[in-house]
Amino acid sequence: MKIIRCAALAAALALLPIVLLTSAAYSQGKTAPKDAKLYFITPQDGQKVRGGFWVRFGLRNMGVTHAGDDYQNAGHHHLLVDVNDPIDIKEPIPQDKSHLHFGAGQTETFLELSPGTHTLQLVLGDAKHYPFDPPVVSDKITVRVRQPGSVRRR
Amino acid sequence: MGEIRNFRSGNQDEPPPHGAMPRRLAAIIVGDIASYSRLMQADEEGTHARVKRIERDLIQPSIIEHHGSLVKTTGDGFIAIFDSPVEAVRCSIVIQQNLVARNASVPKHSRLEYRIGVNLGDVIVEPDDIYGDGVNIATRIEGIAEPGQVYISGAIYEQIKHKIVCGYESLGDRKVKNITDPVRVYRVLPDADAVGRTRSRRENALIFFLAVTLLVIAAGALWYLLAQPQGRGGQQVAAPAVSPAPSPVPQALPREAATQAPQPSPSLASAPSSPAPAPSPSSTPLREPEMIAIRGGSFAMGSNDDPTERPVHQVTIKPFSIGKYPVTVQEWNECAAAKACSFTATGKDDAPVSNVSWTDAQQYAAFLSQATKKQYRLPSEAEWEYAARGGTQTKYWWGDKLQPGMAGCKDCGDLAAEQPAKVGRFKPNPFGLYDMGGGVDQWVEDCWHKNYQGAPVDGSAWTGGDCSSHVLRSGSWKNDSRYVRPSNRDGYDTNVRYPTHGFRVALSP
Repeated sequence: MKIIRCAALAAALALLPIVLLTSAAYSQGKTAPKDAKLYFITPQDGQKVRGGFWVRFGLRNMGVTHAGDDYQNAGHHHLLVDVNDPIDIKEPIPQDKSHLHFGAGQTETFLELSPGTHTLQLVLGDAKHYPFDPPVVSDKITVRVRQPGSVRRR
Repeated sequence: MGEIRNFRSGNQDEPPPHGAMPRRLAAIIVGDIASYSRLMQADEEGTHARVKRIERDLIQPSIIEHHGSLVKTTGDGFIAIFDSPVEAVRCSIVIQQNLVARNASVPKHSRLEYRIGVNLGDVIVEPDDIYGDGVNIATRIEGIAEPGQVYISGAIYEQIKHKIVCGYESLGDRKVKNITDPVRVYRVLPDADAVGRTRSRRENALIFFLAVTLLVIAAGALWYLLAQPQGRGGQQVAAPAVSPAPSPVPQALPREAATQAPQPSPSLASAPSSPAPAPSPSSTPLREPEMIAIRGGSFAMGSNDDPTERPVHQVTIKPFSIGKYPVTVQEWNECAAAKACSFTATGKDDAPVSNVSWTDAQQYAAFLSQATKKQYRLPSEAEWEYAARGGTQTKYWWGDKLQPGMAGCKDCGDLAAEQPAKVGRFKPNPFGLYDMGGGVDQWVEDCWHKNYQGAPVDGSAWTGGDCSSHVLRSGSWKNDSRYVRPSNRDGYDTNVRYPTHGFRVALSP
C-alpha cells in the first residue's frame, strides 16, 4: 500500500511541472513591445525602381533572429508582395511566391519584379512563423517598376 | 533581366549589381590582450609565442566548438563571428575561464588576460575581414571591458538573457567613441554566486519541486526493489539479465534454456550464451520507405508558366528508385528514436512528416543509409520532376484541367479538415507514385537557382554556389493549384523549418 501511495504522489508531483511548462511553451500569439516599429529603409512609398532592386528592412525596439529561435522580443522578416489578404495571427505566415521568408535573419533582399505597380509589406514572424499579437507590420508601400526599355544602358 | 524574378536573398549564384556586398546578421566577438605593449616590452619573443599558443590551443578550438568562425587575428587580439548570440557568449565565457586556469601558475605581472566584447549587428562579410557599425561597437565594448571579463551589448543581452544562466550586471548606457547613440552594456558574471542571485523565485521553486519529485521516485524505486522477496517465480526471466554476476553459472544456463523451450533443436545450442533478452534493438526491423523503381529516360524539364521554370530544357534521367509516398511520421520517428534525427515528429503515424528543414531531411537519409547499407539520398530536382510527370508533358500529370481527387491543395477540392492528411489519399500518377504535387512541399537535393540558366542536363543535382537555400517541389495543402504543377519550383532557407515542408527519399540502383 505504501508503495502505491508513494508512486501516486511521485506521479502527481512529476506531472505538475510538466503541465506548467507545456502550457507556457505552446501558446501562440506572442506579444511584442508596444513601441516596436517595422519599416522599409528602401525603397520609399511610390518610388520608381528598375526590374531588380534592393529592399532593406528596418526594425526598431525589437531584434532580428533566426526562425526557430524562441527569444523574447525578437523575430524574423517576411516580405509580402502584392498580397491583399488580411494577416491571420492564428496561422503561420504562408510560404509561397508572394510571401517571402527570411528565416536566416536576413535584413535585405534583391527583388526582381515584372514591370508595373506592386505593393510591398513587411510582417515580423516569431520562431514558428506566426505573426505577433497584435501583428508587427510595416506600412504597405507601392513601387512602380519601369519597363525594361526605359532602363538606360550603362 | 527585368522579367526574371528572384525573390530569394542570400543567393550569390550571380554577383548582385552595383558591387553590393552580402550583409548578414551576426554575433561578433572582439577579444584583445590587456597591457599587450607592456608584456611585449618585457619579453617580446616569449609573449608572442604564448599568444600564438593560446590562439592555437584555446581560442580557435573554442570558436569552432561553438559553431563560430574566426575572421582574423591581430597582433594582440582576434575577431570572430557566430550565427547564434548564445554560442558567442558561451564561447567567450569558455575562453575566459580557461585563461584563468592557465594564468594561475603565472606571476601576476606577466599574465595574459583578454578583454572580450560581444555585439549583435548587421555586418558585411568578406573572406578575411568584416565591416560595419556592429564590429565597431563590439570593439568599443571590448575597450571598456575589464581584463578577464566579458562585456555584451544590449542587443546580445536581449537574445540570451533567458538562455544562458549567468549573472548579468547592467552597466547602463555608455557613450562610445564615434558612435552616435549610446550603447547599453552588460557585464557577464559566470560564477556560481551570480547564478543564485539572478535566478528568479519561480525557477527556484520549480527546481526544488523537480528535485523533490526525483528524490521521491528514487526512494520509491529503492523501496520497491528492497521490499521484493528474493527469487520469486515471476522474476526468473529478468533475474539473470539484471544480475548475472552473483548467480552461479550452472544455474543460469538451464534458466535461459527454459525460456527457449518451444524450439529445442540442437542448432540453438549457442543461443543461451547470449544473455540479451528478446526485444533487443536489432531484432525489430527498420521500417524502410516503400520504393518504386523508375526506368531512365529523357524529358522536357520546366515550363513557360513561371519565370523560375524557364528555359524548358531536355534532360536525360538514369534509372533510380523514389519513395512511393513522402516520408511518414512513423518512419521519421524511428530515426528520432535512434537519436539520428533531431526531433520527434507529432501527428498520425501515416501522415507525412512536416516542419523539417533540408538539413533535417539529409539527416534522415543518412540514418536510413547507415541502417540499411544502401545509398539513400534526396532525389535531384530533375529526377523529382521526371517522376512527378509520370511520362506526361501536360500541365498536371492527369491533364491540363484541374480535377478533384487528384491532389491535396487549397483549391484542388476534397481537402481533409485535418492537415497534413495521411499519405496516399489521392490517386497515384502513371508511375504509381502518390502525392507528387500537393500534400507537403518536398525538399530535393539541389541548391536554389532562380531559373534554369546553366542547369545540368544529365539528371544530376545542381549544387555549388552559395547554396543558403535549397529547392522545394510539390506545393502544399496551403498553396493553390498553380503550385501543384509538376514543373512548379521554389526555394527556401536550408536550415529553416516550416510546417508544410516534408520530403521523400530516392535510391540509385
